[in-house]
Amino acid sequence: MSVVASSTSVKNVEEFEPLIVAFCCNWCSYAGADLAGTSRLNYPANIKIIRVPCSCRVNSNFVLRAFQRGADGVIVAGCHPGDCHYMTGNYYTRRRFSLLKNLLEYVGIEEARFKVDWISASEGNKFAYVMNDVLEKVHKLGPNRKLRDSRWKR
Amino acid sequence: MEKIREEIKEKARQALASKEVDVILAWEKGELWYDSYPAFFTKEKDIDSLVWDSFCVNNLSKYLLEYTMTDKKIGVFVKGCDALAFNQLVQDNRVSRDKVVLYGLPCSGMVDPDKVRTKNLNQGLTEIKKSKDKLIFITKDKEITVPAHEVYYDKCLHCRYPNPVTYDQLVGETVAAEGVLDDSVRFSGVKELEELSCEERFEYWDGQFSKCIRCFACRNVCPACSCKQCTFDDSDLEVLGKAREDSEDKFFHLIRAYHVAGRCIDCGECSRVCPQDISLEKLNRKLIKDINELYGEYQAGLDPSAKAPLGTYKLEDADSFTVGEKGGKKREKNSKR
Repeated sequence: MSVVASSTSVKNVEEFEPLIVAFCCNWCSYAGADLAGTSRLNYPANIKIIRVPCSCRVNSNFVLRAFQRGADGVIVAGCHPGDCHYMTGNYYTRRRFSLLKNLLEYVGIEEARFKVDWISASEGNKFAYVMNDVLEKVHKLGPNRKLRDSRWKR
Repeated sequence: MEKIREEIKEKARQALASKEVDVILAWEKGELWYDSYPAFFTKEKDIDSLVWDSFCVNNLSKYLLEYTMTDKKIGVFVKGCDALAFNQLVQDNRVSRDKVVLYGLPCSGMVDPDKVRTKNLNQGLTEIKKSKDKLIFITKDKEITVPAHEVYYDKCLHCRYPNPVTYDQLVGETVAAEGVLDDSVRFSGVKELEELSCEERFEYWDGQFSKCIRCFACRNVCPACSCKQCTFDDSDLEVLGKAREDSEDKFFHLIRAYHVAGRCIDCGECSRVCPQDISLEKLNRKLIKDINELYGEYQAGLDPSAKAPLGTYKLEDADSFTVGEKGGKKREKNSKR
């Protein structure tokens, strides 16, 4: 898994700066972000991390609300199935967000804008890779206009 | 229908007289020809106004919610779809089974007043009789026979559960399920949309959602939407404002559909009551289809002791977001784009 330190090249293309909201599980993905930081891996500053106790804490409302209030992409990251700190939380996440992801695609939201992935505390590399990957794809797609509230101002 | 009308009344009278139930929930005729609305009967003498005709489309199960907090025992008449709804309410712990006596009514379909109007059959209409798969519209001076499927609600045309799936007493004889909906027909609308490109789909749904006037009829009629406090009503949550805003319309519809995922009995009431004709069933059926494909066939409302698909899990569950990983479903939709 290669780490793409593409934030500089992305930034120079044009002025659009995607805003990505990442819901990270406290026990795995948030620690993964920490590891990515301490390992000095590059991941873009456009990612705003919101720490949640478990990936199953993330309500579908949160995801839609993020899109409504300015996010161009949303990431939900949790422990790998089987590794949940609360034993079963991410099994529910898996079912819920499988449906939500399909539903968003179904109503015409680009697939790349919503990403769910499993990132463990030891996967600093994967964390940086996923963040860069989503940012790159969202950057290509351009700003999210489909779900955004027209009254929202950055 | 005419035959069992008297039977229904007799049943209701007896139930009230023998104190089997305190209240009977059934239908009553309103002022207009298509008006058969839900009514509560507590006295035997009121039973005379009870009706059972081709317009009793209202699902009575949801009206039970008001009685969940009382000690009263209630008798309710349920059609096939209402029985599914009842089971769903029991599964959601919103109605207790032992406080309710269910009288099952096999139903071959309900008549859509709009279709009657377009055929101009409502002039001087006094009664509608059913004979096999035809309906006879009786007016003061003439009788007109039409094939039943021409005037039934769309949602009744391919009914999968014409007979109640649960009841204490059955009134009348069971009817054969006509033209039972197989999944290829049931999900054809969903599949058509899935074939479109992302932009086309967005265009379609944007057009649908922007028609919404947020009257919440779809929510209010839905037997799966039974929360005491709805997130859309709580202004402190700031989930929905009062502004006419497209993103809030989308938000409402996505959350509404997602909230009933795995609990939607596919009764089609939401699309029936929608004053703006938003094709809500295509949203609900997408979720049903995905649940069936990913987590196994599931029909909400069949078994009140079953676990809702989103309230349970399996270790080997598939998901729709990790490509190539174990159990991950290939995203064939993406490759087309």
